[in-house]
Amino acid sequence: MSDPSEKGKIPGPDSAVELSRRDFLRNTGATVAATTVAPAVLGAAGARAQDAPPATGTDIQLTVNGVSHRLTVQDHWTLVELLRDHLQLTGTKIGCNRSECGACTVLVDGQPMYSCSQLAVWMDGRQVTTVEGLVQDGQLSPLQQAFVDHNGAQCGFCTPGQLMTATALLNSNPSPDAAAVKSALVGNICRCSNYNAIVEAVVDAGRRNGGAA
Amino acid sequence: MSEQVNQAVEPLATIGNATPRIDAVERVTGTARYTRDQRLPGMLYARILRSRLPHARIVRIDTSRAEQLAGVVSVITHENAQVVWGAGSVSGGRQYNDPVKEATLHRRYIFNNPVRFVGEPIAAVAATDRHIAEQALSLIEVEYEALPFVLDPEAALQESAAKVWPEGNLAPDAGNRFQPMVTRRGEIDAGFAQADRVFEDRYSTAFIHNAQMEPRCALAHWEGDRLTLYSPTQGISNCRHDTARDLGLADHQVRVVCQYMGGGFGNKNQNQDTDLIAATLSRRSSAPVMVEYSRKEDWVRVHGRWPTVQYYKIGVTNEGTVTAMQMNAYSGMGPYRKNSGGISGMDGYACENLERVIYPVYTNRTVSGNFRAPSEPHGHFGIESMMDEIAYQLGLDPVEFTLRNMRRPTEASPFTNYSLDQCIARGVELFDWPNRRRTSPGSDNGPLKRGAGFSFMMFRAGVGSSSAIVRVDGDQSYTLYVGVTDIGPGAKTTMGMIAAEELGVPLSRVEVVSGDTDRCPYSVGESGSRTTIMTGYAVVEACRDLKRQVAQKGFPSTGEVLIASATPTPTTDGKIRNCFAAHFCEVEVDTRLGTSQVTKYVAVHESGRLINPQTARDQIRGATIQGIGQALHENTLYDSNTGQPLTSGYYSGRLATHLDVPDIEVEFIEVDDGYGPFGAKTAGEAGIILSPAAVANAVSNAIGRRMKDLPITRNRVLEVLS
Repeated sequence: MSDPSEKGKIPGPDSAVELSRRDFLRNTGATVAATTVAPAVLGAAGARAQDAPPATGTDIQLTVNGVSHRLTVQDHWTLVELLRDHLQLTGTKIGCNRSECGACTVLVDGQPMYSCSQLAVWMDGRQVTTVEGLVQDGQLSPLQQAFVDHNGAQCGFCTPGQLMTATALLNSNPSPDAAAVKSALVGNICRCSNYNAIVEAVVDAGRRNGGAA
Repeated sequence: MSEQVNQAVEPLATIGNATPRIDAVERVTGTARYTRDQRLPGMLYARILRSRLPHARIVRIDTSRAEQLAGVVSVITHENAQVVWGAGSVSGGRQYNDPVKEATLHRRYIFNNPVRFVGEPIAAVAATDRHIAEQALSLIEVEYEALPFVLDPEAALQESAAKVWPEGNLAPDAGNRFQPMVTRRGEIDAGFAQADRVFEDRYSTAFIHNAQMEPRCALAHWEGDRLTLYSPTQGISNCRHDTARDLGLADHQVRVVCQYMGGGFGNKNQNQDTDLIAATLSRRSSAPVMVEYSRKEDWVRVHGRWPTVQYYKIGVTNEGTVTAMQMNAYSGMGPYRKNSGGISGMDGYACENLERVIYPVYTNRTVSGNFRAPSEPHGHFGIESMMDEIAYQLGLDPVEFTLRNMRRPTEASPFTNYSLDQCIARGVELFDWPNRRRTSPGSDNGPLKRGAGFSFMMFRAGVGSSSAIVRVDGDQSYTLYVGVTDIGPGAKTTMGMIAAEELGVPLSRVEVVSGDTDRCPYSVGESGSRTTIMTGYAVVEACRDLKRQVAQKGFPSTGEVLIASATPTPTTDGKIRNCFAAHFCEVEVDTRLGTSQVTKYVAVHESGRLINPQTARDQIRGATIQGIGQALHENTLYDSNTGQPLTSGYYSGRLATHLDVPDIEVEFIEVDDGYGPFGAKTAGEAGIILSPAAVANAVSNAIGRRMKDLPITRNRVLEVLS
């Protein structure tokens, strides 16, 4: 068996989650003002990029994993695009980009939503939680720990979405049985078909936590 | 749920303990970086324009308006970018290598003219923003001359059929002969003469997509004449070698990085045209380029399991001994033969009189290629359905019929070990086969009818060559370098466990470096269920060497290291090495709606010694569930009038969801046959080989009608019942 003391250890110095929320706020100021709306473009491509039409957009304020952001977003940006490309939160995955697979599930005001099918401009004033926001005080959530222990992730690509939907489930139903878990997670496809292990992990997380996720 | 493991093998310290993946925390915190999560300074985004016709000549292509769009950096087409994608079309459908590339008659380029299926690449655009790249595609003008097309593999061999290639639609073999794949042994005519009864039937299976969660993508970056490729691949070493060959580079000029990969199930083998398109665009743009596919592109452009039509003729005595087996079959390969088109299953029987003829056929559908156990599940469905039907026609229990006819070791063909009898016996007991099976199929009163099905398999677990490097530092910490990527089955952890066991240290003392060709030696790739057996054995040998060095020289002092490498070439001493399994499935069919729900499933497997029982179990469960989906739901439909694919994503693809699957009860019989790393055998592909057959036999047992076509949809059930 692996060393139990390693459980809950958070990886790597370049990992975003190693930064505690307090450090993050101290380093950036309580509000992150994103003034650059397009990814930085260097080198040979730079000359062409300057020809691109000036970005127009809408100013919004949203809170992501407890951090408030004021941003200018383009009207065609989706929430997952905002998270991945402009807030560097690449934990949320794009599996289909059209509401079929659930890989991009995040919580919006506590409700699981497909972030591929939410526009960024709709997020004004909303609270968004992504997989990067599940770790609290450097510790995995009980649900994340249960996924580790039960092999809840095979390839791991659907895992962030499964975790977010299951987190919402556990918040509303702290001790779900297998049927309740399957019903809640039906919108999260796992092509590794690791469904049995995922359900076992969520049921166990409910059991061991005695309640909240 | 059953997680029992027989304790027939000597317990070990690390191996055999259910062990969470060493990178499990990264997988649950969003910190695991997949290809599409990579960002490089100045990175461009690329999109691909694809054929909207199933077969057409491109008469004119005008990219000038796209090139003038602000933000567009490069546009490539068949006119200005001719790169052979060697692994994309292979005479004989064999593993791609240097001689095969030279020999291949029907070459495939990254852009082809004529285009031969809907979704074939026509042009690619690199731009500063993915939205600009998408907009640019709409500005490319393409004038097509539509050509006649053919979709069905049987129809494609008729004289009047539209020709996909000038020589016709039978794909050539490795010697460029236009001949089917033929296996003959014994005396087929004499075998039928010995038979009391001869059964003939036709079975068909569908094209199904691998549908891995991570859509295809690739990020290419040149530094001088050196290419770094971030690509989701099932084998960084093969991907590097293929890419170097296709681009005219030496291996050392290409670095392939894949630390995490979002599933492939065979469709991320070798290199991909996506890699070559990214590399070509990056070179021309003098900037890193990320090519990204949409889900629909991935579905219609990247290959899935070949559809088949299988005609069987089986001779059998009244007592239930098979005397002759014959199959004529067609595999629809799409317009390029990327892989074999094989249809297996008959080899599981001892009958000496056998003839198998398989026609790999070109069609104007999406290319067919490898999907987890490429030749097996559809073939096992066909032959196991035939045998199940014959058993019931003779009034025999299908299990008894199998025990009488299945292949066993002989003096001429010895096995390293054989445990199929135990797998079947244990499954009969766990599943309660005698009580769940309807001895008279369809005998439940309904409208809900239950029935049970059985299937078995033996599948290769051969040994082979791969490489590993292991190092010990002055602080007695170990680093293992292996060219694997954990694409889901857990290879990184498995390799670490094998090293820890052989070195006699805890797993936490072994750092595993993987997924980067600049840092890791050759590995066979995550395909063919080979990594544990082959690279795992190289790990064993490298660790043995390191132990010898330590025994001779002592541990290195601070600042020094000892390093050992191994590239063993093990054999099985002329013996056949297989894994074995028996599956038992119960379904409930709603005869009013035609729906089938799996209500109980028992899978008994012998995969040698288990390195990590947790990931081994979930390989079996996941593969079994994929097979249930293949049996009941999955199909990629085409409009026969227009050649347009109608199934282009998860919704219509109808993959299994959380609500479709029962607990899969897995039990392993553990054996150490003395080969492979600590006796480990094949696991990754094992489960899917026989599950479609077990499900189909269960449905037929429930409703009393033989289901001959996959998937067994509601319509098909209602049709046979009407």
